[in-house]
Amino acid sequence: MQTLQLDNINKSFGNLDAVKDLSLSVSPGTIYGFLGPNGAGKTTTIRMIMEIILPDSGQILIKGTPNTSREMLDRVGYLPEERGVYRKMKVREALEFFAELKGLKKSAHKKKIDAWVERFGMADVQMKKMEELSKGNQQKIQILTTVIHEPDLIILDEPFMGLDPVNAELVKEVILEQKQRGTAIVFSTHLMESAEKLCDAICLINKGRKVLDGEIKTVKRGFGRNNVILAYDGKADFLKNNGVIESFNDSGNYVEIKLRPGAKPQALLAAAMQHAEISRFEVVEPSLHEIFLATVKEN
Amino acid sequence: MDKFLTVLRREYLSRLKTKGFIIGTILTPLLLTGMMVLPGLLMFLKSDKPKQIAVIDQTGVMWDSLTVNLDDRNEAGRRLYNFTKHETLPAGLDAAKKSLAESVDHGELDGYIVIPASIYEDGNAEYYGKSVTNFRENGRLRSVISRAVTEKRIQRSGLNSEQIHQLVRRVDLRTFRVAEGGQEQADEGHTQIVVWILVAFIYMAMLVYGQVVMRSIIEEKSSRVIESVISSLKPFQLMAGKIVGIGALGFTQYSIWALVMGLLSLYGIKIARVFAPKMAASNFNLPAVAPEILVFFVVFFVLGYLLFATMYAAVGAMVNSDQEAQQFVFPLIMLVIVPFLFTSYIIGNPGSQMAVILSLIPFFTPIIMFARIIVQMPPVWQIALGLFLMVATIVGMIWVVGRIYRIGVLMYGKRPTLPEIIKWIKYA
Repeated sequence: MQTLQLDNINKSFGNLDAVKDLSLSVSPGTIYGFLGPNGAGKTTTIRMIMEIILPDSGQILIKGTPNTSREMLDRVGYLPEERGVYRKMKVREALEFFAELKGLKKSAHKKKIDAWVERFGMADVQMKKMEELSKGNQQKIQILTTVIHEPDLIILDEPFMGLDPVNAELVKEVILEQKQRGTAIVFSTHLMESAEKLCDAICLINKGRKVLDGEIKTVKRGFGRNNVILAYDGKADFLKNNGVIESFNDSGNYVEIKLRPGAKPQALLAAAMQHAEISRFEVVEPSLHEIFLATVKEN
Repeated sequence: MDKFLTVLRREYLSRLKTKGFIIGTILTPLLLTGMMVLPGLLMFLKSDKPKQIAVIDQTGVMWDSLTVNLDDRNEAGRRLYNFTKHETLPAGLDAAKKSLAESVDHGELDGYIVIPASIYEDGNAEYYGKSVTNFRENGRLRSVISRAVTEKRIQRSGLNSEQIHQLVRRVDLRTFRVAEGGQEQADEGHTQIVVWILVAFIYMAMLVYGQVVMRSIIEEKSSRVIESVISSLKPFQLMAGKIVGIGALGFTQYSIWALVMGLLSLYGIKIARVFAPKMAASNFNLPAVAPEILVFFVVFFVLGYLLFATMYAAVGAMVNSDQEAQQFVFPLIMLVIVPFLFTSYIIGNPGSQMAVILSLIPFFTPIIMFARIIVQMPPVWQIALGLFLMVATIVGMIWVVGRIYRIGVLMYGKRPTLPEIIKWIKYA
């Protein structure tokens, strides 16, 4: 059974179609990247999954049960994009509060909180007020409250935004660890690099519509192995008016090139060698970034 | 239900333990007690020294009457006034006044009275004093002088002093309140005091705790913690938990105050006797409040609080900061101030048509209907109708505000316009 399934979700705000006919599914134990430019409808979709806002039509199932069931939503851990803490509350009290909001009984959450606090190295700040904590530690608490009830589905909205490198690493660690447990993880981001490294599958949306989805391998294969990474030193004249190049993304001495269908990479290499010194030449699958840009432009 | 209780507990306990709550809870009864005891205390302190007043009696006959009639004494049996006769001769009136004014200035005298020979005709006497704003004292002097003058006028017409005494005897108007069942109770302004105190408490419950609800919501919005919370329970559960939790806090505070006041009225006099034996001789009891009025107090406290807390919750959901909230809060405050302003009218005319109409407007009911109940029990149907309208308004408000809340708490940045809010209510 799929951990999360969206069937033909629609949501509009006035004249704006925020989400249009969106369907997707996430299997247990997978990391699912929910990608798209700002304003694509990612947060709206996530809020509909959490039943914070209601879809105009369509159905959302968590482990096969509609998300209107509160028991199902208690099995979800959610880290919103807009996140904060109760500044005046003590750390321990806040953790207990959120654990109870997720349906954990007082008798059940003590051990869990103890274990998590230990694991995050925050045992000695438990009795402090939130506002006395450093920004980094407050972020840790937010991550902790997302996973404290060991959910079956974790939804992270732009989890790496504003995180310091230590906490970004911690989030990655937690994501991978939860994946091992069989938890499905959905995270939205517009940072393609982190998505590319972590995700098993992705869904790319733009202007509220799904433009691409599937396992990351399949997605890349669909774009063909006709991309070339080329590191060079010298003039980049060969990039212009070259019959074999369909598009390129030049970073000065590193360029990612998409070839025309049927074009031979060697022809490009020959042209490049005449103008510049080549230190790397590799035929690769397109990067997610490339796919993202290409698809968004196309739409 | 569990989550509602979790929110309720957080709102209640996190505030119960704050310094602000503890200080406010302890300080308020102290202040109130102080306000009640202080006037009495001041009276004793003040009356330790009788007022020194000089009298210039140009009629030559008023002096005796004045000193006899103004033999006022305080509860401890001390004189309030000490009179000295001042002769105008040989220097004349102006010189006498001048020297007396100097004495007043030096603090040897508190004041002086000039009774001119023409007083029988024009009825004018003069009082010069360091302070002439004590209206009770001025009134007392006026009535004694005027009585003395009246007596002399009648005496001139040939009656003897016994007859005069009978003629000018003062009438004392004592007031009784007709309570339920036609029983009469002596009432010297106690009802008024009870109305003002209890109405002020309801007024506070609606405004103060309503604002606490609003701030609590604004705080969750501005700290951005709201979305994590709202994803774990229904917005309505959150709003309800908040309102009930903070209401319970208010109830706790009021119960503590009621307990302190109750103990004071039971043991206060005994305690006072220990610390200030003189004072305890007098009887300043706390006005007694009938049990059914306490029941109505609780009912109007709860309903009034629910109505206003719900509206404050809507304001909290619509705005981003306390400053932004101010202009939304203003109409709410007016809804409480207007009936409060009518209270003295209601005390005077509890059964008037105006009072009936005002008491049936749901936003005014907690204050005006309650004031009417204390002063003069209105017909049962009016109370029932008032309560019904209030409950119906609260239910309607909760429905509307629940929708505003659901959308509003996730809106950051721009403050919504009225059409936008109407859209929220429609589409939530």
